[in-house]
Amino acid sequence: MIIGILTDWFRRSNKSERLWLLAKIEFKLRYYENKLGLFWALIKPIMDIAIYYVVFQTIMKQNVPAFASYLFIGLILWNFFVESTTGTVQILNTKKYLYEYSNMNKLEIYVSTLLSNTIGFFFNFIMFLLFYNLLEKDTTYSTIHTLWILPLFINLYILSLATSLILSNIYVIAKDITQIWTVFTSFLFFLSPIFYKLDTFKAALPSFDYINPLAGIIINARKATMEGTYPDFKLFVFDFAYAIALLMFGTFLLNKLGSKAAEKL
Amino acid sequence: MTKALAIQAKGISKTFHISEDSHNTVKHRLFNLFNPPRAKKVQAIKTMDFDVYKGECIGLLGRNGCGKSTLIRLLAGVYPTDTGTINIYGNTLLMNLGVGMSHQLTARENIYVSASVLGLKIKEIDKIFDQIVDFAEIREFVDTKIKYFSSGMVARLGFSIAVNGGADIMFLDEIFAVGDMKFQEKAIKVFESSWIEGKTVILVSHGMDVIKKYCNRSAFMKNGSLVYFGDTDKAIQMYIEDNH
Repeated sequence: MIIGILTDWFRRSNKSERLWLLAKIEFKLRYYENKLGLFWALIKPIMDIAIYYVVFQTIMKQNVPAFASYLFIGLILWNFFVESTTGTVQILNTKKYLYEYSNMNKLEIYVSTLLSNTIGFFFNFIMFLLFYNLLEKDTTYSTIHTLWILPLFINLYILSLATSLILSNIYVIAKDITQIWTVFTSFLFFLSPIFYKLDTFKAALPSFDYINPLAGIIINARKATMEGTYPDFKLFVFDFAYAIALLMFGTFLLNKLGSKAAEKL
Repeated sequence: MTKALAIQAKGISKTFHISEDSHNTVKHRLFNLFNPPRAKKVQAIKTMDFDVYKGECIGLLGRNGCGKSTLIRLLAGVYPTDTGTINIYGNTLLMNLGVGMSHQLTARENIYVSASVLGLKIKEIDKIFDQIVDFAEIREFVDTKIKYFSSGMVARLGFSIAVNGGADIMFLDEIFAVGDMKFQEKAIKVFESSWIEGKTVILVSHGMDVIKKYCNRSAFMKNGSLVYFGDTDKAIQMYIEDNH
């Protein structure tokens, strides 16, 4: 019955079409406006990988097996989070034209922007799979466990949406959040196991994978895509609960502060 | 038979807190880091109640600064109220010198986005797309970003989207000030046709002829208060007297 009601609502409402339309336009604005276009979406992670590979594998000799793939999956998950949070701190200001003249739900603006980032993520993820299976040496091929990336990505999407809601609504009353978040993301980047060997990370920061939800998502994504095993379910459930709790707080802020965006910004 | 409600406002009010930024120099800012600028309270809308029924065309009259634009922003859900509640039954469109459009997008993209925000499906927008473009007289520039448009072209496009897209409840704030004389004549013709038929319209205008011709009820506002809400002729009379 619930499914029936939802299907009927979706058929009558234009919300799903609108979300997709806004996501496509956002994607176009981000990539088609520049000379490099979509090519940039491809070379950005490759350039990042090259930099970290030289530093951590060549100079610091971490000896992580398949380090380029290890970096690749970590970086694309991290980049999605950063683009969806840092890139949306001022979203209520830049997308004012969408809600200033109608009673459109502001949450749709966030969902569509993150949907646009999702297109970029899956484009990068396909590149990762090709790289891992065709170019990476001394590794096994991807297994059915790779599909665990879907629930893990949903977890990351909710976490990013929640963080985006919190930051952009604080921005309505305190614009300094932009600078503070930039510093915080640098800190978070070095506290996530993106380029460290996992054992080194766990030994130096015990239980930190439970404090930093991004760490859990990255660890589980590597288990699913590179090790061909199930994710750590305890960590998975913990990260999901973390994201849902933050989303509830973000929605509360949207109702409390976001409703004043039109007059404050 | 009871009439169906379109808007129900109960005990609504709005006060703006405007800060006076007197720390203009870096020295001032540094020495007054913990001394925030003074805030001034401006009561834009004083407590009021009213109902608007489906299919009504309501005129909103009052001198500049009396709170007309703030009131329609409250009703359209753009600003939250400080007190009271507003119940809106349907999707809304607020229009003053155009509807919301992004200057980073082309006219085509803006048409699709704006019409979609108004509740139309893509297939429905496809059907009215040519009408919107032709009415706005921008056929040659349909794939040009609107940041390269003149202000008149942007206004015409906004008006055209609103006319062809529409919404259940429309708040029209001085819409006849859009475009050149030729376009204004066209806008009035549209208004006279069946555009607003069956829709709920709140019309803000200083043009008494328009209010008198189309509005079955009107409200007169003064200094943020709803002084009168009822017969259009009486509201116009009060507005004229207030101007003398």
